[in-house]
Amino acid sequence: MPKIVIPTALRQYAGNTAAVDVQGATAGEVLASLTTQHPDLKKHLYDANGKLRSFVNVFVNDEDIRGLQNENTPVKETDDVSIIPAIAGGVGAEARTASSLPDLSKDEIARYSRHLIMPEVGMDGQRKLKAASILLIGTGGLGSPLGLYLAAAGIGRLGLVDFDVVDHSNLQRQIVHGTKDVGRPKIQSAKDRLSDINPHVQLDTYETALRAENALDIIKNYDIVIDGTDNFQTRYLANDASVLLGKPNVYGSIFRFDGQASVFYPGGGGPCYRCLYPEPPPPGLVPSCAEGGVLGILPGIIGVIQATEAIKLIIGEGEPLIGRLLLFDALKMKFRELKLRKNPECPLCGENPTIKELIDYDAFCGITPPQPEPKVEAVSDWEVTPAQLKAELDSGKQITIIDVREPHEWQIGNLEQYGSKLIPLGQFPSRVNELNSDDEIVVHCKMGGRSAKAYGVLKEAGFKKIRNLKGGILAWADQVDPNMPKY
Amino acid sequence: MSVRLTTDHLETIRQHGERTFPEECGGLLLGVVENGERVIRDVLPLENIRKDSRHNRVELNPLDYAKAEREAAKRDLGVWGYYHSHPNHPAIPSGFDLDHAPFVEWSYLIVSVRDGKAEEVRAWTVREDRSQFDEEEIINA
Repeated sequence: MPKIVIPTALRQYAGNTAAVDVQGATAGEVLASLTTQHPDLKKHLYDANGKLRSFVNVFVNDEDIRGLQNENTPVKETDDVSIIPAIAGGVGAEARTASSLPDLSKDEIARYSRHLIMPEVGMDGQRKLKAASILLIGTGGLGSPLGLYLAAAGIGRLGLVDFDVVDHSNLQRQIVHGTKDVGRPKIQSAKDRLSDINPHVQLDTYETALRAENALDIIKNYDIVIDGTDNFQTRYLANDASVLLGKPNVYGSIFRFDGQASVFYPGGGGPCYRCLYPEPPPPGLVPSCAEGGVLGILPGIIGVIQATEAIKLIIGEGEPLIGRLLLFDALKMKFRELKLRKNPECPLCGENPTIKELIDYDAFCGITPPQPEPKVEAVSDWEVTPAQLKAELDSGKQITIIDVREPHEWQIGNLEQYGSKLIPLGQFPSRVNELNSDDEIVVHCKMGGRSAKAYGVLKEAGFKKIRNLKGGILAWADQVDPNMPKY
Repeated sequence: MSVRLTTDHLETIRQHGERTFPEECGGLLLGVVENGERVIRDVLPLENIRKDSRHNRVELNPLDYAKAEREAAKRDLGVWGYYHSHPNHPAIPSGFDLDHAPFVEWSYLIVSVRDGKAEEVRAWTVREDRSQFDEEEIINA
């Protein structure tokens, strides 16, 4: 008959014996035999859903059944089966001792009453929220709903990192900022709004970009990191710094009508962002929201999912998105879920990590940091400034203007009054034959990037008299025509 | 319940924390339960088998645990607790500690080690419903 060795702490539920004789031919059967004989053991070994508790390891002789066939692992008459606790610890996200949690004032109790009456939150949960600190990287599309709801929920301390100022084009989705805030630093505008929502929340502001030089110093003061940025440099930086400091990183990203969310937390047994994407895509391959657009509501949905996950981590309720990637499609109105596994080869959180400190994330992502702009703007001979172009057109010079943007951008504003013609960049190579190489040609797009590519196509095709409109139609709006709408 | 340890036991825990700083360390507490106290008779420093995040994570080898149980049984003792270090953090259990605390019957000792110097050692137990830790008294005798 096989024996099961019981750990000291549980012997009182097993008739005070160190080893119990059991029946069965598999690990699952002998465990069932054990809990039939000693029903009191059940709640110590299994959770409320009937699953073996995470700390319960079952070994057959010297091998963990997880490395064998789990509960189907065969057990022979002579085998020793042992229940061995998994023992782990460490400095973690948050302290959860009753004695170390702050008390709630009468005002706070009134404010949070809808939380307090739910047993999953209750007084202890609300005090955990008050004791918690969360760093929000970015106060834009995702940062807005995150800040609003986390402040309202009573997180004790929120850190806000942003270097940007509020622009008209932000207001379609960045609902923490208002029309009256345009031109103000985003963190100032966000701070005003959040302290109005909940004066009990301490707000720390960092008017800076998160960089390798400051990331560890800023993040170390918070329990949870929430990444609300939409560039790869910051995403890898936030991931690496969070893993190095052992903090959970609540991830969200949005593009056009699609969103994603997950919780990256190797310290909590899950993968990190690098397990999922070891390397960034080549620069320019994945468009940003500024380039590809985003449905204004989408960051609301994804940001609120991130806020929900942060709160679950703090109060310790429910099943976190650790090891799961949630995908949302707004057009289909569907959520899907992918399982994420920790990559044992991960250079950051794998078995033999090679990344032990922060790196140069611009270089890693193939980005050349922006050079300080020279005072007098140099114009190369292949470019033309909006003012020059306007002067030439006014002088009656024949110029063929080619707009290489997309039709929906053309609809916002265009140079049709000067005879501009629309040939989207994607169609350019096949439509070069519509152009006459003897004409003076000026190509333009929104800001000058895509038209520079069109310029290259024409050059290759042997065109000589071509120039690119420097700064695109946005520069035209700034320098020539204030009635031209900007987007 | 309270936990009883000698000054030597506490010193073993402190020294283990200092030796392994800035990484975390851990070990087991062998003893008996007598008159409502966990009386510790031996402190067993063990290896941290974590490969990553060793500065804020410790994990013990399950086979070391099994061996400790066998050794303890020979001496009529049992494994009644576990200690670990918190480098540059207070000796207060984290959420991670709570999620990974195996037994409500155990004493959990934490030593805070600041800049390589061991400071306070505090003892904690897990509530029956596993919702949180409560501090327990260390009787040093």
